Amino acid sequence: MSPGMAGSQAKNIAVQGLWKDNPIFRQVLGICSTLAVTNLVMNTIVMCAALVFTVSLSSATVSVFRTLTPRNVRMMVETLIIGFYVIIVDVLLGAYWPSMRANLGPYVGLILTNCIVMGRCEAYGATQPPGKAFLDGLCTSLGYTFILLIIAAFREILGLGTFLGMPVPFFSGPGWDKWIIMVTPPGAFFMLAIVVWFFRWLQQKQEEKAK
Amino acid sequence: MMRERKWYPIFYMFVVTAAFSSIVIGFSALTQERVEANTQLAFEAAVLEAGLGHHDPARSGPEVHRKFVEQVSDPNASSGGAYILRQDGRFIGYALPFEGQGFWARVKGIIGVEPDKRTVTGIAFYEQSETPGLGAEIVRPKFREQFKGRVLGPKEKPIRMRRPGSSLGESDVYAVTGATQTTVRVEEMMNRAIRDWQTQVEAAGTSEGGPKPTGGAS
Repeated sequence: MSPGMAGSQAKNIAVQGLWKDNPIFRQVLGICSTLAVTNLVMNTIVMCAALVFTVSLSSATVSVFRTLTPRNVRMMVETLIIGFYVIIVDVLLGAYWPSMRANLGPYVGLILTNCIVMGRCEAYGATQPPGKAFLDGLCTSLGYTFILLIIAAFREILGLGTFLGMPVPFFSGPGWDKWIIMVTPPGAFFMLAIVVWFFRWLQQKQEEKAK
Repeated sequence: MMRERKWYPIFYMFVVTAAFSSIVIGFSALTQERVEANTQLAFEAAVLEAGLGHHDPARSGPEVHRKFVEQVSDPNASSGGAYILRQDGRFIGYALPFEGQGFWARVKGIIGVEPDKRTVTGIAFYEQSETPGLGAEIVRPKFREQFKGRVLGPKEKPIRMRRPGSSLGESDVYAVTGATQTTVRVEEMMNRAIRDWQTQVEAAGTSEGGPKPTGGAS
């Protein structure tokens, strides 16, 4: 394979994960964590970092074992591998950042059930070589990350008047009546719907232009 | 070839599971010491918070530990199982641990009481896995701040948790809406600990006259 071809392939994988097949606004996967942890930007960053770690490494690991794994037990093996990385994240947080682990509560463990992880392992890791599987996992989870950060930034600023815990001018002042609903679960639904709508509209416009 | 044998998937599953599990077990054994230190630190922070009646989020781990060593001494015979808090050598209150089964798992907390043995200085939890958004609301300041200044009531039920909106007596607080199980269990475990403690300090108090101002200070 020539380097030019590898480069265009990598670019293609990145475009798919970040934009064309974005897990949030295109595939609408992994929504429970999207709704649960996005009321503070800091929690979102840590959650997304954990997901990026889990998705890219488990997809690559599934890929390493792809020729050895019998078809009929492959999903068990995938779950095992995903669980392995999730436990590592959980143990690391418990040892080095217990307050963050308490903030995220059960959601770290629930990365295991995030459809994006299994989805990438099944759709990509199970058939493609490890390097490509890693890149695909990385780009897909970064696609998830940037949408979640947008949602989280709006929720924290509108709902609490802060960004990463620091007061934001105007929104933290007396002139802004804090929208508490934004940091409660219903606020997540509103924000998610608006973000999905906006990005789909953007995508559609782009596609029409390309024609 | 081995891969075509019927037993291969089972064998494969065993090997893969054993391999990954050993790594995870080894990994968590490596970090165990830190995890235990963190648990101890959470406990110390809860004792300080409940006993001093205010939360200081900016304080780092080592500071919490230093303050704990400085201000808190272990339970002695006269304190009835409660930790003893001091400020500048002066006895300022008790920090009584309580624990019991919550809705999902064990709940562990501390209730702080003034030297009069009746006025509550605050409560804090250092271990719980209640439902986020419902039972887990017990750890929020909104719920916990209600306890500050409450007076322990009659022996059967020193603290009562009431339905939100009802009128409160001097030893009542509002329960968490939507978390009846957590509330009932926390109320029960808290009251059980308070009752036992009261019985013990009363017994000790008649013979010794309360904790000695210097005893147990480290």
